[in-house]
Amino acid sequence: MAIDPIYIVQLTVNGIVLGLLYALIAVGLALIFGVIEIINFAHGELLMVGAYAMAFALPAVGLLYWPALAVAVIVSAIGGLVIYELFLSRLRTSEFERSVLITLALSIIILHVVQYLFTANPRLVDTQYGFDGVDIGAIRITWTRLIGAGAALVAFALLYVTLKYTQFGRAMRAIAQNREAALMVGIQPRAVARNAIVLATALCGLAGAVLAPIQLVTPSMGQSLIFKAFALVIIGGLGNIPGAIVAAVGLGLMESWIGGFFEIIWQELAVFLVMIVVLLLKPDGLFRREAMRVG
Amino acid sequence: MKTLGVLAVALLCGALPYLTTSNYVIGIAISACIFTVAAAALNIVYGYVGLLSFAQLGFWGIGGYAAALTVMTYGGSFWQGLLWAAILNAAVALVIGYPALRTNRHAFVIVTLAFTLLVTLIARDWVDMTRGPLGIPGLPAPTLFGLEFNTTPRFYWIAWTFAVVALGALYILCSSRIGRTLVAIKQNEPLVRAQGISPMPYKLAAFAISAAVTGVAGGIYAFHLRVIDPLFLDFYYMQTFLIMVIIGGAGSFWGVVLAGMVMAAVPEILRFSADFRMIIYGIILLVAMLAMPNGVAGWLHDRRVERMRAALR
Repeated sequence: MAIDPIYIVQLTVNGIVLGLLYALIAVGLALIFGVIEIINFAHGELLMVGAYAMAFALPAVGLLYWPALAVAVIVSAIGGLVIYELFLSRLRTSEFERSVLITLALSIIILHVVQYLFTANPRLVDTQYGFDGVDIGAIRITWTRLIGAGAALVAFALLYVTLKYTQFGRAMRAIAQNREAALMVGIQPRAVARNAIVLATALCGLAGAVLAPIQLVTPSMGQSLIFKAFALVIIGGLGNIPGAIVAAVGLGLMESWIGGFFEIIWQELAVFLVMIVVLLLKPDGLFRREAMRVG
Repeated sequence: MKTLGVLAVALLCGALPYLTTSNYVIGIAISACIFTVAAAALNIVYGYVGLLSFAQLGFWGIGGYAAALTVMTYGGSFWQGLLWAAILNAAVALVIGYPALRTNRHAFVIVTLAFTLLVTLIARDWVDMTRGPLGIPGLPAPTLFGLEFNTTPRFYWIAWTFAVVALGALYILCSSRIGRTLVAIKQNEPLVRAQGISPMPYKLAAFAISAAVTGVAGGIYAFHLRVIDPLFLDFYYMQTFLIMVIIGGAGSFWGVVLAGMVMAAVPEILRFSADFRMIIYGIILLVAMLAMPNGVAGWLHDRRVERMRAALR
């Protein structure tokens, strides 16, 4: 069988875009895990809430992309803040299973409340860019995908700068790397944890918002994405942000290539099979490092 | 005294078909028996060893499909189906459990969840084997020595016998030296290692036993429903088992059994739309985790310790 090189390049481009969006979700999970050792099961639902915020904000602002995006990010971040202040701030670091069950319960509640209010019917989201695309040579990519990938890259750059050079971000890394020492120099773990959650959920809202015009918006859209993101943070090494990004882009490429040549089921199975293999060979993930580092 | 009480309750439950003729009530009792056993199996892994396993739902589904396929595709009997459900699940649990247990407890949660999703995908997409979303309807009633368990009260005997045998076996396991070792692993794993006990075989064994029991429970439940499709792996079941374990008190054997019997009736009382039921279950789970993370049994235990402290003062 002759394989068309343009087809391959097209799949690769799609895969990278998909991977960057996975990375937005996985990075938030890794950040939260790094700082407070909680795996946020409600992350996918916050993404879904972000996507719905985008879907409702767009008509209100006359289909303008960027204001609606800002609304979605803010809505998700507020959701994260509320969840932290009401529920997660009571937990001690040793209560991992309890945090899983609390966030799981929240995820179920949010999912079914949204489903109850807006029904399970998928929504198609239109923006000012419509469904047009650009042609680069023989490759075609829609504007919304291109902008989504660009927004993800900008978000990673900002996240890197924040974590590396600001007091705000350095405090997060300090807590993640050595909790006692961070306490001794006067860092407040509660405030840092809150900042980390808000930052992570804002990223997740961004992911939901850029995904809304790319795929259909449904109440369960967060679920399928979050399970992949869980697998990604395991593959990348729990709490490791660059690891999560690398794993996410790798997965995006793999899914796109597999989707181009094999049956769709293998696309879904791939990530789990990779995870099991990685755990067998390297139980701590591919890029295990000491606590949370960014560079 | 306690033994007598348990026996009395078990016999009383066994006599249910003589006390009521309502198929509706007996149907709920069948679910109660099966769910209680599944919750007790989850309690072994989560309550005793302290590993939160979402794989139970996957084992439940594998058990259901294994039993159904043995009868419908391979022409075996219901009992052979249950046997296959147990064997297959134990084997799968060993294969999944080994890599998952080598990691930390954080990763364990996610790996078991991923496993369950994998099972759901296979149930939905491996159409040649599982007939996909259409499912396998018309599972026949089990027979034993010419007796056909084709009515609800008759099927109740199977569920009741299974509940008594499985809970009895699990209780013996939990109160044995193995059970105490499992609790020790949860409370202080380094100490267990220091005593010269390798935790891995114990964890694996607990995971495999719990998988096998959950699988048989799933197999029986599939034949109670008379149909199996990917909805058999609905997260609702996992949530039910979790709530039973948490309300009852993780690590308390009788607490979970009691909670299983009570909580199986609750969804029947709360018969709203499916969305509403999930919301209420979510709220129950949330409130239970916030207010009494150790369940009713844990709360009672705290009260008892409190009273003893007061008496000593």
